[in-house]
Amino acid sequence: MRSPSSLRQEFLKKWILGLQVCNSSKNMNVFERKKAIKLSADVAMASARNGKTCWSRALIVNASRNDNGKEFVEKILGSDYERQNKNSTMNRRTRCRKILKRSCTTIRKAMKRSTPSRPKVFAFSVAKKMIKKRTQLLKSVVPGGEFMDEVSLIEETLDYIISLRAQIDVMKSFANATEIENRKKDRQW
Amino acid sequence: MEPRSSTIGPSLDPNALDSFQFNEEIQQLMTVPQENASSFTALLELPAPQAMELLHHSPESNDSAAPAPAHSNSHTVTVDAHHTPYHFPVGANLTFPSNIALIERAARFSVFAENINNTTTDKSNHNNNNHSPETTESVPSNSSGNLGKVKNEPAESDSNKPNSPPPAENKRSVKRKEREKKVKVTTKKSKSGANESSEDAEKLPYVHVRARRGQATDSHSLAERARREKINARMKLLQELVPGCNKISGTALVLDEIINHVQSLQRQVEFLSMRLAAVNPRIDVNLDSTLAVEVSTLYISSFHPIQQVAFPWVVDPLMDSNLSNMVMPLMWPGGSSQSKQTTISTAMAFGCTSSACLGQEKKKATTLLLQKTHF
Repeated sequence: MRSPSSLRQEFLKKWILGLQVCNSSKNMNVFERKKAIKLSADVAMASARNGKTCWSRALIVNASRNDNGKEFVEKILGSDYERQNKNSTMNRRTRCRKILKRSCTTIRKAMKRSTPSRPKVFAFSVAKKMIKKRTQLLKSVVPGGEFMDEVSLIEETLDYIISLRAQIDVMKSFANATEIENRKKDRQW
Repeated sequence: MEPRSSTIGPSLDPNALDSFQFNEEIQQLMTVPQENASSFTALLELPAPQAMELLHHSPESNDSAAPAPAHSNSHTVTVDAHHTPYHFPVGANLTFPSNIALIERAARFSVFAENINNTTTDKSNHNNNNHSPETTESVPSNSSGNLGKVKNEPAESDSNKPNSPPPAENKRSVKRKEREKKVKVTTKKSKSGANESSEDAEKLPYVHVRARRGQATDSHSLAERARREKINARMKLLQELVPGCNKISGTALVLDEIINHVQSLQRQVEFLSMRLAAVNPRIDVNLDSTLAVEVSTLYISSFHPIQQVAFPWVVDPLMDSNLSNMVMPLMWPGGSSQSKQTTISTAMAFGCTSSACLGQEKKKATTLLLQKTHF
């Protein structure tokens, strides 16, 4: 069973690996550092899922598009990098399948499109539009969400929320720890 | 059926969600039929074990779709009932067991009826004869319409006359469709359940799907309904995870809340990374891989989200679930001394060097830490 703390441990391990990559690069200003930290944290969090969830794979693929991200991905995933490539091809296959499914459903919808006449049904259509809008929004928020159908979208959202929470916990304690240590050092001076 | 739903479902602990444990649903399911022992299984003197087996198989087929690691299944067997169970999705699943019981009974019954019919001159019972050979097939979606009819007959006769064969089933089948029934089983679940294990097919020839009053019984709408119920079940889980969503009714508003929550979490991550970037003038993490592994393995199981970092140098050695201990920043100096301090790492949570720490100061810091955490 995946306990929250094991997730945090995984994340921390991989994040430290990623931060070591930052070490080697030259001095950056605050914003670059922040971007690097965030990127390494995201990649670490995604890799903690070991490619089982769609959002994690999508996140890694997105990250490996830029050069910085690629360093993190290679460092953190290491030997798993080839496996991740394989997963990305699987992504393509599922994506094609989803596109096919979507086209079929749109054809079906076009065939049985009918304007609702009764007010009750009209309310349904309004509600459906609202829900559709929001699912689109959710798909844009969750990484890799555009390629999912509704059921898996909800599952991915669940998993994503849990991972985000774990990530925030670890990062918060990390930040607090370093701040306290800095304060301590200042006091020593 | 309705009162049963109220007995189930303590609210979901978010931590329990980590693992998508549908098997905990199974445990809840297992408690359900016992509550109904007086009503259904006693009447049907029935296969609670067989029903449970079917249930055990079909939710497990959902596990393959869920993003849970494969080994989680082995763990769930040992999970005791005290583990916070899922808030049980109301609806199809709840009425599943009783339906299975009925189905089992009805299945037995249809064979029985077939025998009776064969002996009598009532050869008009085509449906029954057609479908009884389908005992080992999975639920055929294309004939679910017919099946609905046929299944309704034995089941209805089952509930009405438990011990007498239905004489005129064809007449009743027409009336059956118009009776009010609740949707018990999702075709998708039954399909996947049957596909996953053939043993289910042997025990249970087909799964009944009851149509609601006035609803179509063709396979498309049934599949639609199954899909919708799946989505509703997941939405309930999400509602429990996201704080403040319990009171909201209506999918659109709940989705709003979820989106807001996810966006706020993402913003928090950005903010925290900015904070980290500001705190460390230079990201300088000197850890060798062994230390990283050690740190992670000794990461204490009960890691609580930190509300405030109090005095991290409160001496509470070893792997207590003392938050402050874990938060303690570990100012490791460069490579060589790390090996000596691997034992100390047991009490430390993080290993990172701040860039401000150079040479002597590093040693000072570490000795201070050593003193504080001496045990």
